[in-house]
Amino acid sequence: MNLIKAHLGRLELESPVTVASGTFGSEYFELRSDSDTALLPQSALGAYVSKTITPQPKAGNPHPRLWETECGLLNSIGLQNPGLQGFLNEELPRLRELLEIPLIVSFSASSIDEFCQMLEALETSDGIDGYEVNVSCPNVAREGIAFGADPDVVYELTSRLARITHRELMIKLSPNVSDIALIAQAAEGGGATSLALINTLWGMAIDWRTGASRLPRKLCGYSGKGIKPVALALTYKAAQAVKIPILAMGGISCWQDALEFIYAGASAIAVGTANFSDPGAPAQITHGLRDFCAVRGICLSEIVGSVR
Amino acid sequence: MFFELRAPQQQDRLFKPLSIYDVAGDRLSFFIKVLGAGTKALADMKDGDELELIGPLGNTFPLLENRKALLVSGGVGYPPLAWLKKSLPASTTTIHLHGGAGKDDIFPCEYPCTDNGSVGHKGFVTDLVPELIKRESIDLVYSCGPLPMLKKLASMCGNIEHYASMEAYMACGVGVCYGCAIPVGDAFLRVCKEGPVFDARQIKWEEL
Repeated sequence: MNLIKAHLGRLELESPVTVASGTFGSEYFELRSDSDTALLPQSALGAYVSKTITPQPKAGNPHPRLWETECGLLNSIGLQNPGLQGFLNEELPRLRELLEIPLIVSFSASSIDEFCQMLEALETSDGIDGYEVNVSCPNVAREGIAFGADPDVVYELTSRLARITHRELMIKLSPNVSDIALIAQAAEGGGATSLALINTLWGMAIDWRTGASRLPRKLCGYSGKGIKPVALALTYKAAQAVKIPILAMGGISCWQDALEFIYAGASAIAVGTANFSDPGAPAQITHGLRDFCAVRGICLSEIVGSVR
Repeated sequence: MFFELRAPQQQDRLFKPLSIYDVAGDRLSFFIKVLGAGTKALADMKDGDELELIGPLGNTFPLLENRKALLVSGGVGYPPLAWLKKSLPASTTTIHLHGGAGKDDIFPCEYPCTDNGSVGHKGFVTDLVPELIKRESIDLVYSCGPLPMLKKLASMCGNIEHYASMEAYMACGVGVCYGCAIPVGDAFLRVCKEGPVFDARQIKWEEL
């Protein structure tokens, strides 16, 4: 019996462990350890979440785009991606060929109409199991966070998208809002079947010698270990506010971290920045959770949201 | 070509991308300058310590025959050019210029240059390039070093074939995160995947 089976809306995942959009690619499946075993077998993941795609190709933000801090990572990638057609023509056929696990496609756009057109185009393709609607990227001027901060807009967007698809419809929320519970309820009310949270926090770094921002766009996204307590609190707040399942992320790097999020109310979790410093982390988390459940004699789903 | 390296006690930090300095049999060499905590931890390693590494990653300099090549490096750009020099076919002749702050930053080459004049030419490597290109009928340039040096060099090389090995902050090192992308031609290309070696004539230096 699979003690760590997870339910994410319309999807049943063999492991609650997934990957955060933008921090993962199939390149990680190719890495082999010195004993020549796969560092990350696909079977360790419950689902594959693509990098966010947008209607048109996006070149991304100026260089440099990264700054490592004591306990996290600042990024300003700017959703560099090949656009919808590039994804459908090249990336999707490759992923369909490669993947043995569910594929969740992350996408973003700059108007509700555009979001709907994207979804209609994606709906015509086989091999997609669900969507992550990215309304929360802090690193682009038009797409992203402009949408995710307003409950009315999230409600309208979600309602329109929900009419188009019967696949898993997950809305990715930003932590950079005054009340995440309101946004979560708006997405649920509109017909989202799950929520993903959190996207990156606002972050910034400045060279104290010169006064120059480390990254050209100044404000950027902050992720990694440092944001874990924030992500955990927001997972708890959102889980208290809605009944749909939550895919939680933010600073998770080991199975103990993952358990904290599950107690806080997450049905599944995603590994993001930790992939960079430990490409085997998702596999270790899956093994750790499996062992934990076996030792305790429980199913992981029993403890979702059971924080005392 | 490079590896991502990490010393013990650095598990929570990102790997450090480091160019290959030498390959002899089954032995790989890296030549590391201590710049921060990550490189210090690498430099402090003792025999028997366990090094984490991912690689080999990225592309290599094209090894062209029958050329008169100028090798231009600055600071931590020395190791990849030292390995290149050993790898080039005998029919290609090389002149290596290397620049650094002072004599501690200078390693074997034909034209050392230092900011403080303690060894070789006092000033930048690029001070010597135009004259050498003319005098030695240079038809190929390979480079690696700090951005201001590379920019200046690229502006001096005109249409001469020029390959630059670029540095960039990296998160994944394997092509996943697009954190290291730089403007080349009409796109942002990943230093870790499409690079680190690029045709310098294609790099949009003004955007860097």
